[in-house]
Amino acid sequence: MNRSLAILFAAALAATGCRAQKAAKPGETAAHGAKAAVPTSDFTHQIHLDQGIGCTDCHEGIDKATTLTKRHLPPSAKCAECHTDNRPAPSTENIPPPRLTFSHAQHVSQKQIAGKCDFCHKKLPEMGEPYPKLSMETCTQCHKHQQDFAYGRCRPCHLDLKGYKPEVAYAHEGDWLRNHGAQARPSAESCAACHDQTYCGKCHGPTTTAARPSVIWPEDVQASFIHRGDYVSRHTVEADANPSSCQKCHGPQFCQACHAQLNRAQNGQQEGVGGFQFIRPPSHNASGWANNPAAGNNFHGEQARANINSCAACHDQGAQAVCVLCHQHGGIGGNPHPPTFLSNHSRGDINKNNMCKICHPPGTF
Amino acid sequence: MRKTTALLAAVAAMAGPAARADTVDVSSTTMLTLGQQPLDGQPNQAPSLGTVVPVFELLNIAAHNVTNPVAQNLEIVVSGWGSYNFDTIRWDNGVSTRLTGDLVNAYIGGRLFNNTVQLRLGREFIMGGVARGLQLDGGEAIAMLPFGLRASGYVGVPVTQRFTGVVPTSWNPQAGSLAYGGRLSYYLALPGGFSGRGLDLGASVNWVNDGSNMPVRQEVGADARLMLLRNVIATGFFAYSVYDERISEGSVVLDWRAIPRLDVNADFRFTAPDLLLSRQSILSVFSASSRKFIGGGATYELAHGIGVGANYHLVLEPGSEGGTYYGNELDAKVDWHHESTRAGAEFFLLDAFENGYYGGRLFGRQDIGRFFGTADVMTYFYRHNINGQDYSVIGILSAGVELAKGFSAVVSGSAGANPLFQEQYSLLVKLAYNANYRVREVK
Repeated sequence: MNRSLAILFAAALAATGCRAQKAAKPGETAAHGAKAAVPTSDFTHQIHLDQGIGCTDCHEGIDKATTLTKRHLPPSAKCAECHTDNRPAPSTENIPPPRLTFSHAQHVSQKQIAGKCDFCHKKLPEMGEPYPKLSMETCTQCHKHQQDFAYGRCRPCHLDLKGYKPEVAYAHEGDWLRNHGAQARPSAESCAACHDQTYCGKCHGPTTTAARPSVIWPEDVQASFIHRGDYVSRHTVEADANPSSCQKCHGPQFCQACHAQLNRAQNGQQEGVGGFQFIRPPSHNASGWANNPAAGNNFHGEQARANINSCAACHDQGAQAVCVLCHQHGGIGGNPHPPTFLSNHSRGDINKNNMCKICHPPGTF
Repeated sequence: MRKTTALLAAVAAMAGPAARADTVDVSSTTMLTLGQQPLDGQPNQAPSLGTVVPVFELLNIAAHNVTNPVAQNLEIVVSGWGSYNFDTIRWDNGVSTRLTGDLVNAYIGGRLFNNTVQLRLGREFIMGGVARGLQLDGGEAIAMLPFGLRASGYVGVPVTQRFTGVVPTSWNPQAGSLAYGGRLSYYLALPGGFSGRGLDLGASVNWVNDGSNMPVRQEVGADARLMLLRNVIATGFFAYSVYDERISEGSVVLDWRAIPRLDVNADFRFTAPDLLLSRQSILSVFSASSRKFIGGGATYELAHGIGVGANYHLVLEPGSEGGTYYGNELDAKVDWHHESTRAGAEFFLLDAFENGYYGGRLFGRQDIGRFFGTADVMTYFYRHNINGQDYSVIGILSAGVELAKGFSAVVSGSAGANPLFQEQYSLLVKLAYNANYRVREVK
């Protein structure tokens, strides 16, 4: 750990006097991949219920509890009222800490719930079984929280949402990684109820990130990381098929930062020379790319129309762009605008955009 | 990095005795990597290969529900990194110094006025509507209004990397020096027993200008999310470039949880790639092309820990002589896990106008107590040569151990060959730490 980490730890620990309660987030460890163990019950409820023992016979005081702080589990003495073999009381060690603001007293005082614990607790934990989680629907069968859910207003009922996963709306099932963007766009606040933005930034912050996720976590083989492996080899193919997918995260300057450091090859270089000719696409060397406009066979315009974003990866230098040489007003390259351009723009637009004035200086158009 | 350290320490100090957090999540990753990079390329000359050996420190600290007298769920979030290059200076970090670093997030947020206003200030992402995950140094406010209405607004500077550079060299996809916008939405909750049942409609606007107050991006958009049944959800998005008076993006996605283990989805997407360029780019006036994607996919969880999934899309892109090229995009995956063993295989196919590929991947992981090992092999075959080569292959082996108290250590190495390197290798050694501190007891 470096100095900054030491400072932070010291500051945080000194300020809070806390200690780490558990080593890792549920379902996530430092060496991504391993899952946290699921706590299980060491008590059998059903046998006791079959004996006619009521809930409050063992869970004394639960019906008057206004918080979940106290467990209200029976002590050994309670077990000894029936059992003579000195068996220990159920352990609280494996029971997850309560993370809800909840008053049993307030609920059991309601007429429709009074005496009916199974109104909410429809499944009780049995020996060796994971503790059953009460679903949100247990609450929403009475409480109307639709609006709060949409607004991501989970507190004060939920103290925190760690380890919870949406069960119905926004359930992280199926090909969630592919579909999450479409669902997050209308309701980012719902996502933010569980995820702070450091989570989003692992993939959505390429401008400032240290490295790709697959570089930082190579051991996380089951994750659907973006740009896994030697992605740089195939990025041209994917950029051709879907330029927008690149452009949504990377500005043209991101491409140029790399391309400029490599061999920005010049005319005449052949494929494979030096092993790095790829920076200049083979199409640029083909006869008729841009060198014979009079014959009408220069096809770079068609290529540019099809995927202008690829051009931008190398040629987006404003007034210094190579395109300006031929395509400025009156140049030999002629009018480069697509047919729909003039229908969407008027001459007046030239004055609204400095970029237009590069090719259309005042008085030329 | 000094700025980063000072800022992080200041944030930690803010979370001092007067503001005690309910939870603090901390993760730290210290890693040393070794690999090759082409350097110093000159016209008509092959660049030399240099060995780069950077060491990184990645740090995330997120304090949630910080007790304070003003805001509910006050959160302080910092995510950043620093690196030092021992050997040749890397070029992909945007600066030419040995010591560098950056902040991915650094914001303070909370809810005010009885949870009706949510504020976030600092380096953050603007996620909703047509903002498209804009990374911003600024602020966003979201107001929860009566009758299911929400209104949000943001303003700030699109993030530039590494604390350096000015607008023309920003890597931010939206570039510019000032961004502002917002979203107005309406949520109609429908009765029906489960949370999330309803209709969410939104209208959003995103305006980005450059330093001369010239337009970089001017878009408005509409989005919708409809959930009537508990196993069917439909979403839609539509974006329109006001400056160019054209549709910049659109999509419709339908997801159906047919049976508990089977998920089926279908989608249609439209994009106009040139409209994602800055309106100050000279190249933005040369093209008006579009791409369309039509298809869908399915995932199915079989018995015995086996899951399968596949997606297919027909890709419509500009072809030769002004025509349309009908390309194909396909991926398929099978994944198996049993106790402490996991393995999987993937297949990829992309058929685009200029080039295409098909490829595959095999991966596996075995945990033995606190130790684990992984293997990962990927290979691709290209329809046309890239730099004189029609394939790439890479293999990655990793091994690690879960140490005490949230620490873990990993060693990973990769080797392969691809069109850019006849041979390549890399090595990574890292020490990671994850912890969740619960500070305030539940009362």
